[in-house]
Amino acid sequence: MASETNSLQSEIVKALRFPVAVGEILRKRQALKRELLKQTNLVPTRIAILGGSTTTEVKGMLELFLLAQGIQPIFYESGYNRYFEDVVFENPELWNFKPNIVFIHTTWHNLSGFPELLESEAEIEARVRREMARFESLWEKIHTELGAVIIQNNFDLPSIRPLGNLDASEAFGRVNFVLRLNAEFARYARAHAHFLISDILSLSAQVGQAAWFRQSYWYNFHMALSPTASVALGQSVAAIVKSIYGKSKKCLVLDLDNTLWGGVIGDDGLQNLVLGKDHPVGEAYLDFQRYVKNLRRRGVILAVCSKNDPENAKEGFSHPDGVLKLEDFSVFKANWNTKPENIREIAAELNIGLDSMVFVDDNPAERALVEEQLPEVAVPNVGSDVSSFAEVLEHERYFEVDKIVADDLNRSAFYSVNAERSAVQSKFASYGDFLASLAMTAEIAPFRAVYLERITQLINKTNQFNLTTRRYTGGEVEAIAQDPAFITLYGRLTDKFGDNGLVSVMIGQIVNDSLQLDLWLMSCRVLKREMEFAMFDALIEQCQERGIRKIVGMYIPSKKNSMVAGHYADLGFKSIGSSDGRELWSYDVPATYSPRTRYIRRTAEALQPAPIADGASVPSEV
Amino acid sequence: MPTMNRNEFLLQMDEILDLPAGTLRGDEKLEELTNWDSTSLITFIAMAESNNGANISPGQIVTCSTVADLLQLAQVERSA
Repeated sequence: MASETNSLQSEIVKALRFPVAVGEILRKRQALKRELLKQTNLVPTRIAILGGSTTTEVKGMLELFLLAQGIQPIFYESGYNRYFEDVVFENPELWNFKPNIVFIHTTWHNLSGFPELLESEAEIEARVRREMARFESLWEKIHTELGAVIIQNNFDLPSIRPLGNLDASEAFGRVNFVLRLNAEFARYARAHAHFLISDILSLSAQVGQAAWFRQSYWYNFHMALSPTASVALGQSVAAIVKSIYGKSKKCLVLDLDNTLWGGVIGDDGLQNLVLGKDHPVGEAYLDFQRYVKNLRRRGVILAVCSKNDPENAKEGFSHPDGVLKLEDFSVFKANWNTKPENIREIAAELNIGLDSMVFVDDNPAERALVEEQLPEVAVPNVGSDVSSFAEVLEHERYFEVDKIVADDLNRSAFYSVNAERSAVQSKFASYGDFLASLAMTAEIAPFRAVYLERITQLINKTNQFNLTTRRYTGGEVEAIAQDPAFITLYGRLTDKFGDNGLVSVMIGQIVNDSLQLDLWLMSCRVLKREMEFAMFDALIEQCQERGIRKIVGMYIPSKKNSMVAGHYADLGFKSIGSSDGRELWSYDVPATYSPRTRYIRRTAEALQPAPIADGASVPSEV
Repeated sequence: MPTMNRNEFLLQMDEILDLPAGTLRGDEKLEELTNWDSTSLITFIAMAESNNGANISPGQIVTCSTVADLLQLAQVERSA
């Protein structure tokens, strides 16, 4: 842990943070890599880069930014411009590599051709279809035969526009054609969960087209991106991979005075705060509040951490021009304790790791203190000018998601409802009475297609109640769901307060008359509800139906899953030894079994989402 | 356009070639530098352009045999 902390905080690694020091990264790449490799507990992944141009630079940069996210990649690189042949002709080297992720690094240079001048609409449409068919054949084969997640560049704009501005408006214009193809790529992405777009159209605009593509690098090295652009792409693709592995941040912790509004509410009073359209700086604060509100809407948990009198602090949210309201925050800490103390408490109350948190404060001294005392917390260097806060957060890509599922959207509402559950709990004489009062129903069944995305998301996000912390790609989950050699179970829990969503997953592999339990996880949101008993009861039934006589459970300790160290012993498993850091546990499936669940009604039928107090469904975020 | 002097450029070349600061003096033969590869070559070109406005092609680099030759190409020093 100490080495990880030191590594990510070392001066040299700061080059990877906003504002990214491109020249320094390029020059010091070897030293950077060495420093980042000092981290412990890196998550391994296998990435095949299939290039329509030279990929060496992009690979090098992607590696650095992945290491900075705690992910250690092993790469396969196609030969120059062999992205298509490698897949279509099944290059054995690629097939043997068994990638988790395939990144197709193509650019406008890889288009078969642009429309001819005055080409008819029908001919252009046929051209679009041909191009799509070519790429789709590639994507389908990767998905069905390699089972990998696909990250595909859309197209950047060609550097030459023979028709000038008309290139954007005429159907046969190059710009128009590229945008049309990008829309088709996006349509495909919307229909295929395992397919993600690397948006180089936007990225090239951010970098600036003149800096993105340089003729000299193209003609000399067949690099479709300049070294500067390679840094930007490496960071961007790393953010996508981070989201696939559930390493995106979950919670934004915000200071108040001079962060969400201008001025100090305790001294200046509500009426004198700088917030709203009537003042140039006030408008910038308003826009930052809007940005934060949008993050909340898409599932980022918000918390306040402010040195303030609590009543004063709350009054700030009654400002008529503010868009953030008190109820947008899941935890509100306004007091005179130190910020590291408060942030620790916020993490404990939300039951999330410190490494899931981002702290924004205009005060550099507070930022430095949090950085120093809580090195796991991300502390962006936002400066003190509110107009750049959102930009810095965007550049750091903290909250990148690979998909938005319904469960994400009301995550903050979940925390309010959970607080209500806690309040109810205190009214009962015994914990059992409380559990009984919740009127819980669990839907537990083998994986259903409709839940595969959520199951994959949970598998890749859950760290604490997770016996093996094994990660699976969407393709792997889909394949296992259809494989009779596996027993799969998901669990969804509802109670009288609402729907907790899909909260538990099991994957076991059948070997003769034994079941090897490769994965068992549960969202910490439903701890101490006996949901793990309900899952175990369902597993025993499955084993009995399929003539399985023994279950072998595995516990692989990680720095985050100590809470389940005694899980198998508690369930009556017997220890059968350990090797390679894995503990093995065995359980003989009895002919007759008394279910352990006392307070949960179990069904294999799909439950209807139950409404909660404010009418929103409740997510089961880990 | 910012320009770099000889010492600053040599220090950056140390970084590119993953050598301790102050290692390179200029008379080193490129063929004897183990980390002198296509990646470091591209970084050198990018650095020469951004720091000294020098527009260098790989063809020109092929004619270089020492670090001092590179510095000359990068317009750090006019004569070897």
